[in-house]
Amino acid sequence: MDFVSTEGTPRGLFTCEFCELSTPYSYYGQKPPNTRGIVLLEECFVMKDPFSPEKEKFLILGSTCSLCHKTVCIGPDCSLFYTKRFCLRCVKEHLDQFPQQIQTELLKKKPAQTTGSASS
Amino acid sequence: MESKRRRDRRSWDWDSTECRAQLDEIFFRQHDYIQAGSPEHKEFWAFFERFQRFKQKRDVSGSNSNDEGGWEKKPRKSGDVNLGLPKEYDARYRINVSVCTRDVEERFSGSERRQQSTSGPGKEEVATCRLTLLHFLDFSQRQSFGKLAKLRREQRKLPIFQYRDRIIELVKTHPVVVVAGDTGCGKSTQVPQYLLSSGFSHIACTQPRRIACISLAKRVSFESLNQYGSKVGYQIRFETTRTPATKLLFLTEGLLLRQIQQDATLGQYEVLIVDEVHERHLHCDFLLGVLRSLLTLRPDLRLVLMSATINIQLFSAYFSHAPVLQVPGRLFPIQVIYQPVPPEEQPSRSEKLDPRPYLRVLQGIDQRYPPEERGDLLLFLSGVAEISTIQEACQTYATHTHRWIVLPLHSTLSLAQQDKVFDIAPPGVRKCIISTNIAETSVTIDGVRFVVDSGKVKEMSFDPKAKMQRLQEFWISRASSEQRKGRAGRTGPGVCYRLYAESDYEAFAPYPVPEIHRVALDSLVLQMKSMGLGDPRSFAFIDPPPAASIQTALTYLKEQGALDSHEELTSIGRLLAQLPVDVVIGKMLVLGCVFGLVEPVLTLAAALSVQSPFLRSSQHNPDCATARQPLHSNHGDPFTLLNTFNTWVQVKAERGGGSRKWCRRRGLEEQRLYEMVNLRRQFKELLKSHGLLEADQGAPCRQDRQQRRERHSERQKLHRLKRDHDLQEGTRRKVLRLEEGGEEGLGSSGSEGEESRKEQRDKGVDIQEVKFKLRHSVTELQEATSTSQDLSSRQQALMKLLLCRGLYPQLALPDEHNATRKDSEQIFHTRNKQGVIIHPTSVFASDPEVLHLPELESREPGAEKGESCKHQLLAFVTLLETNKPYVSNCVRVPALQALLLVASSVDTNADCTRLVLDGWLELCLSHGEAALRCLSSALMLRAEWERLLQAQLHQSTRGLAGPGPSRKDLEKLSEGLVRFLLYTEVSYSLRRLSALEIQNLYIGPQGSTGLNDTPVLNNLFPGMETEPHPLKGGLRVTSFLTYNCLANSKDLYSECLRTFWSCPNCDLYMPLTPLERMHHEATCRPAGEIHPEQEQGDGMGAGSKPSSTSSSLTRLYHCDICNKDLSLTSTEILKHKRQHL
Ligand SMILES: [Zn+2]
Ligand SMILES: [Zn+2]
Repeated sequence: MDFVSTEGTPRGLFTCEFCELSTPYSYYGQKPPNTRGIVLLEECFVMKDPFSPEKEKFLILGSTCSLCHKTVCIGPDCSLFYTKRFCLRCVKEHLDQFPQQIQTELLKKKPAQTTGSASS
Repeated sequence: MESKRRRDRRSWDWDSTECRAQLDEIFFRQHDYIQAGSPEHKEFWAFFERFQRFKQKRDVSGSNSNDEGGWEKKPRKSGDVNLGLPKEYDARYRINVSVCTRDVEERFSGSERRQQSTSGPGKEEVATCRLTLLHFLDFSQRQSFGKLAKLRREQRKLPIFQYRDRIIELVKTHPVVVVAGDTGCGKSTQVPQYLLSSGFSHIACTQPRRIACISLAKRVSFESLNQYGSKVGYQIRFETTRTPATKLLFLTEGLLLRQIQQDATLGQYEVLIVDEVHERHLHCDFLLGVLRSLLTLRPDLRLVLMSATINIQLFSAYFSHAPVLQVPGRLFPIQVIYQPVPPEEQPSRSEKLDPRPYLRVLQGIDQRYPPEERGDLLLFLSGVAEISTIQEACQTYATHTHRWIVLPLHSTLSLAQQDKVFDIAPPGVRKCIISTNIAETSVTIDGVRFVVDSGKVKEMSFDPKAKMQRLQEFWISRASSEQRKGRAGRTGPGVCYRLYAESDYEAFAPYPVPEIHRVALDSLVLQMKSMGLGDPRSFAFIDPPPAASIQTALTYLKEQGALDSHEELTSIGRLLAQLPVDVVIGKMLVLGCVFGLVEPVLTLAAALSVQSPFLRSSQHNPDCATARQPLHSNHGDPFTLLNTFNTWVQVKAERGGGSRKWCRRRGLEEQRLYEMVNLRRQFKELLKSHGLLEADQGAPCRQDRQQRRERHSERQKLHRLKRDHDLQEGTRRKVLRLEEGGEEGLGSSGSEGEESRKEQRDKGVDIQEVKFKLRHSVTELQEATSTSQDLSSRQQALMKLLLCRGLYPQLALPDEHNATRKDSEQIFHTRNKQGVIIHPTSVFASDPEVLHLPELESREPGAEKGESCKHQLLAFVTLLETNKPYVSNCVRVPALQALLLVASSVDTNADCTRLVLDGWLELCLSHGEAALRCLSSALMLRAEWERLLQAQLHQSTRGLAGPGPSRKDLEKLSEGLVRFLLYTEVSYSLRRLSALEIQNLYIGPQGSTGLNDTPVLNNLFPGMETEPHPLKGGLRVTSFLTYNCLANSKDLYSECLRTFWSCPNCDLYMPLTPLERMHHEATCRPAGEIHPEQEQGDGMGAGSKPSSTSSSLTRLYHCDICNKDLSLTSTEILKHKRQHL
């Protein structure tokens, strides 16, 4: 697909399997270009940060759930990172293995939000 | 724990800039992701402070007691998967980023070991900083992602989103698609993006307004996350962000038409989107017509028409029933309340509008809705006068209740004042925006909950008979009425008060009258001609304009010399079609080039093409008036504009951004002056590209390397400023103060409060100044304008003549009794309209004496009553009827001289002491000899002017082929014109003819008996075909001069009028009739000054006749009496004939 998008050629379209957020990405991996000392702790879909005037700022869109391997965005309604990436569905399934802080945090969330707004 | 150690550490101080700088050496080096000194770096340290405070608070509350993290060994609950998560929570595990700076840290820790006493970051400090940096990076990631997610959510929520695939499919399968949707459905921003994402790549989207091009390009670029790339751009008159990479371009309708003029197939685009077609602007209607025929040439082209849900079938049907996709708008429910104005409150024609119906609505809102419930009021009125009446009344009410801020909105307000309607009212207070129909479509204000619709609109219409624009009040259409109502439901449910009855509404016309039915079509017809679209009368418009309108335009263009008698473009017409200005202004530019008055004429042309920079609201401010005084010129408003522009450039050169204050003091809208600079440059480039101006003409730029470098670094700085400004734009909205609005709009625009407020708003950066400096070199401009700074009286006279010839036939005659009338009651007459008055903004409104005849002079001995050599006429730019017919932008010119040089019809009696010009002005000269001298010089000057003009035009249209007019000739001509204009001292009376006199003006065709010497005359003048005028009678001498055709004049035979005369150039001395004498003068030249035979063009640019004998003045003459063929000059022929008498 030919997308009008970021600096750097788009490599493909990133689509979150939960909220359907979809946008072209320009890099996939742990070491986005021109970031010097920065390393990502997971393989991420990355684009140039469109909200920064600077050319070399990156924005992480999402990655793959370490359990179910679904593509998921980093939005708090779709996934969380705790040493690894988990989609919220998997988090819920294994909630007891997460520390208390995370458990209470998730319980505080409205159920409507946690399911993510799918198709509209 | 860091915090505790921090305190007892030697001299480490997190707040010290030196300590921070040491950490910057580790984390924010020159090539790091974040660099010291960058905005992010500043943000980081701000974040650092917040983060440390937050941690301290948490440490005190003791929630984080155990620091020992451990990896969980076994699952607590029987599950099939062990996630292997650390048991103890640490916020840091939630961050998916790490930062390595090992290399530097090692170096630092090494140095620390060597010299322990010096302060420097220890391991703890480095760790603290690193941890904070991780949190900072995580925080910024979340922030940006949040924005992205919000953007996508909003896009999905737009009503048009669910039609996305359908739209793409329709466009792929049909050449023309109509997308109809009401305000807020998202069509303008989304449809171009859908098409882009589906693979179309050269998309142009037209907009009726320039401002929309810019804002849409910005918005779409942002939404497609391309804010700093170049794939989405815009192009308007003076600005473009277009690059070869641009895939989606927003541009004005007019500009797309110009592109078609260059490239008839428009090969550069794959898809054309024409937005807002329902607005039915002149250009849009025309564009649709052009595109319809283009589709046959370009079957691959895709055309998308976007419209509100108004009259959709019209567009669909015009494009052979193109498919229509209708998208529901996103409007909240709006309650409609009909509150017709009771008869006792209805204003009679001359009265002011009664504010009571409007005040009742304000009161009603105050009673019914608690002030906590937000929502502003938008009030639609027909015009500026109505707005100030209602504004005054509402302001009184507002001052009393403290619940309203009253703000006017119309296009003659300064931009800063217009901008205020977007500001926010403080809690408990509502904005009351009183607007013309500008807020119906052009300006969208959020937060409006109540709409009051007066049901009226003032529209410009064109009266082809009086050649006059007229601003009249009409009832609006049902479509407009709905549009106004819709403004109440954009952000929530609303209420619309209609100040008319439901039955009125039903009687409204369904749609507004399209512009093409209301305005003068001169420019349109000219453009059609230059695009080779054939006969404009048969062009397949979507809604053809009245035939009379097109006919008027054709006639006018012929009068102006842009079209010849076969309605083909003349060379000047071709040029005028290229200039994006009125024909009149285009003409001035061309004329200016010929006389080397380019610089002042460029300024004038620009000044007359933009809105006046003089703000109406400052008109009555005495301080402004005093400050403006030195700028005024009593020669006319164009000269005042010229002075103003030149002085402004001077101020800019000396004080840069200080010009803003200078303008404010004088009640000037600086934006207009910036527009003038841009326009001026565009004109200059156009003239250069047409060879009318030498490319090297203009200020020489000798810059050494140092200067170039300085200029370069300055430009970089400016670019940075502009970018910063663009980033901030639209993000700041001020909260209005209760005392704002009110008086301000009523006159005191230069008040202190206003000034400080504006400065605040602009935060010191004057973006216009930045753009100006990026585009122009002040020094160059200064040099250019200094040549027109102090016009000599000669130049001034020539400039006036150029203006007059450009503006012709827009001339007005002062009424003969003006001298005895009050200043405010001065009246003037144009050819088609009697009793027009001077617009109050004009210099002649405040200083009418300069138009009166000098008192003493008219009593000169021997002079008849009303005779003077000081009669003047006004040439004017516009004649507009509002409540009265007004002429504005006037310049005064000497009547006799100007008329003889520009009039397209000059009729004389037998001894040329009575002249009728253009069939309505009569000049009587008591001194026959002087009259003849005058007429004769005028004839020669016109002929020479025409010849040089044609030479110039031929040269420009044919590239560099022929030699242009010689500098010497041009100088001689301007010398002659100046002498004629300034030093013609002849007394005459001047009056307009009555209707009855006009009816019986001419003797009419006489047959051969009336003028028995016709054949003689014919033979006298080679190159000048003298023939009886078929309608007027008399003899047509040139295309504009008809001799002896006036009836009722001293009825004498021309033979009897011969008087002895000696020619100054040859040795001729004999009795001649005035006509013979004139012709002799026209053809007889002093020895050594041999000219090719003069071409007698009929007005500017009209087809020039091939000259017969070009090198010699002799011609073959057959004398019937001697029965011999003789080769003689015209003078010799004359002498020869005399022998036989
Ligand atoms: Zn998601
Ligand atoms: Zn999962």
